[in-house]
Amino acid sequence: MLGRPSYSLNEDSTTPPSMQVETQIGDYYVTYMVFPAFPSPNQPGRVNLYASRIDDGRPFDGEVAFKVRDDSLFNDDEELLGVQLPDDNVFRQGFEFREAGNFIVRAEFEAGGEPYQIDFPLQIGEPARWGPLGLTVAAIMVLLITVNFVQRNRLISDKIRSGRQDRAG
Amino acid sequence: MMMVHPGLPSVWAAALCVFMLALSAYILLANTVSGRPAKTISLANIPVLGAFVRALTGTPVILLFLKITVVCLFVLVIAAGLSGSQIPERNIATVLTWNIWWAGLIISVFFLGSAWCAICPWDAIATWLVRRRLWRRAHPNNSLNLRVSRRLRSVWPALVLFIVLTWFELGVGVTSSPYMTALLALAMVLMATASLAVFEGKAFCRYFCPVGRTIGFYSQLAPVELRPVNTDICAGCKTLECYYGSETVDPCPTHLVMGRLKQNTYCTSCGNCARSCPDNNVAWRLRAPSREAIEDARPHWDEAWFMLGLLALTEFHGISMAPFFEAWLLSLAALVNDSGKLLWSFSILLLSGMLAVVLAYAFFVRLTQKICPGRSEFKKLFSGFVFVSLPLAFSYHLAHNLSHLFRESSGFGALLLNPFGLGAQPLSMMEKHSRHQDILFSQDFLFASQAALLAFGFWISLKVIQHRGYVLAGAAGLRLSPMIMFAITITGLHVWLLMQPMMMRF
Repeated sequence: MLGRPSYSLNEDSTTPPSMQVETQIGDYYVTYMVFPAFPSPNQPGRVNLYASRIDDGRPFDGEVAFKVRDDSLFNDDEELLGVQLPDDNVFRQGFEFREAGNFIVRAEFEAGGEPYQIDFPLQIGEPARWGPLGLTVAAIMVLLITVNFVQRNRLISDKIRSGRQDRAG
Repeated sequence: MMMVHPGLPSVWAAALCVFMLALSAYILLANTVSGRPAKTISLANIPVLGAFVRALTGTPVILLFLKITVVCLFVLVIAAGLSGSQIPERNIATVLTWNIWWAGLIISVFFLGSAWCAICPWDAIATWLVRRRLWRRAHPNNSLNLRVSRRLRSVWPALVLFIVLTWFELGVGVTSSPYMTALLALAMVLMATASLAVFEGKAFCRYFCPVGRTIGFYSQLAPVELRPVNTDICAGCKTLECYYGSETVDPCPTHLVMGRLKQNTYCTSCGNCARSCPDNNVAWRLRAPSREAIEDARPHWDEAWFMLGLLALTEFHGISMAPFFEAWLLSLAALVNDSGKLLWSFSILLLSGMLAVVLAYAFFVRLTQKICPGRSEFKKLFSGFVFVSLPLAFSYHLAHNLSHLFRESSGFGALLLNPFGLGAQPLSMMEKHSRHQDILFSQDFLFASQAALLAFGFWISLKVIQHRGYVLAGAAGLRLSPMIMFAITITGLHVWLLMQPMMMRF
């Protein structure tokens, strides 16, 4: 499926697996590959980008700027990774991150007077694996404690009400 | 490189077309509706099997053991999804959830009805957390026991959640992400727990759960049912333990009264009714698989939309796995200037696919309304004839899922040895080819089964049309031709979809 990462390994190659995403934007069909598929902090990696026109398959031959930012809400701080010219029609951008985290790599180029911006996810190191589990457990605990508290109040109110009715009756 | 499975050979498709035409001609020429009394066989009376069935329904121990087993597997899926390898074919979270469970679930309905709901891990965990009991009747004060608001007391919430689930599954690609699979599992547990803590009974199972409602509607075509052994005992019953529960057994989680039960739709097979009945008057029995959809099930407006949604989403599943779908997606993306994961384009295609099925159905119902005597209300015909979509959706769903299960379950044994996929590499091309060749049964058996299922679905759909047409509008013979055309069109589409090569999940 387009836009979905797929992991591949060829038995003819001794290289570690890579992650590849394909998508299209405007007049261009874009293939993006991260090598290695799961880069760790302080490990050099590379992004390869290939863009070709949808109508005639002609590869894009201008220059592509690669930028990176944290994949978090309300974050606009962007850093330029580099500006690349095609090497055998492929734009290659090296990277090395010091810290683990989720990042967005933005590839920018201009073609036919139109600006193109394509965002791709890049995960460095292991994500906070157990965070969602902790959140779920916490949410369930809060829910159950709240329900218990409300129910206890209800029961006490019912007891008081029935006691009053008994006395009145 | 994407591997594709071969589609149904044209000889099978031709045979199906001949069968459809011959059967349609027979129904069009026949002017009567055969009404034979329903035959059932109590499973409790069958030697050997009967003892097991009685033990299963009479004591909670076996059910509890099955629940604990399924919950353990479910916890493994969450743990592997969150902390295991993110290569989908090397992680048990994605393989067990999407290749085995999701594909096998529908096949289980074909044999066991809504049995899955009885051991569902979402409900089991929620029940243990909220009720704080493994099986005995719980203290009612552990939940707020609020009534679900009148507006939500329908299957609309389940339909919306089913569309959302399909969007996540096929659009966002949860199926190829162990991490997202685990998140989805956690979200389902959270929703089930919240519902149980706030609402009375099992509102999540009855109104909200998209999987439970899918199973429920398909169970109308299942060959088994939980029903009274002797309806006279139920007629004379004043205590209604099946509805209110007993001192030790919880009441029916979906508020069903066994004496009046005519359809499987909302039965979760929990067996509370069988355990609480003081007369041991509730048991599993075998029945004709089609009778409920043909005659017994009562039409409802919201349920009609769910059944149509089920048909549309099932077809969309098949379409999205055909190689041409990507070309459609690309063309639409170019048209609407979509990029990235192409989620806008995907959403438009999903909604268009659903709309197309609804419009086609409404068109044929309107035609039927025009040519039938008495001019029945459109809404009445729309809700009444919709049962025709159940066998059509179910048979195609089964045929499609058989392909997944037969062709994509290889390698599961190796995965059990390393469920987290630690240190595993993606499948090499050689492994992909080898898995592609490694099919559970022979390919000819698969094709024959798929063709037989579609033929079965079509046959049941014509029986539904024949009976419901007579009851709803006094129509028979040629007057049923619009609805028969609908069944032919949909089955024709299903045959064509099965003939297309299908992309391997991963």
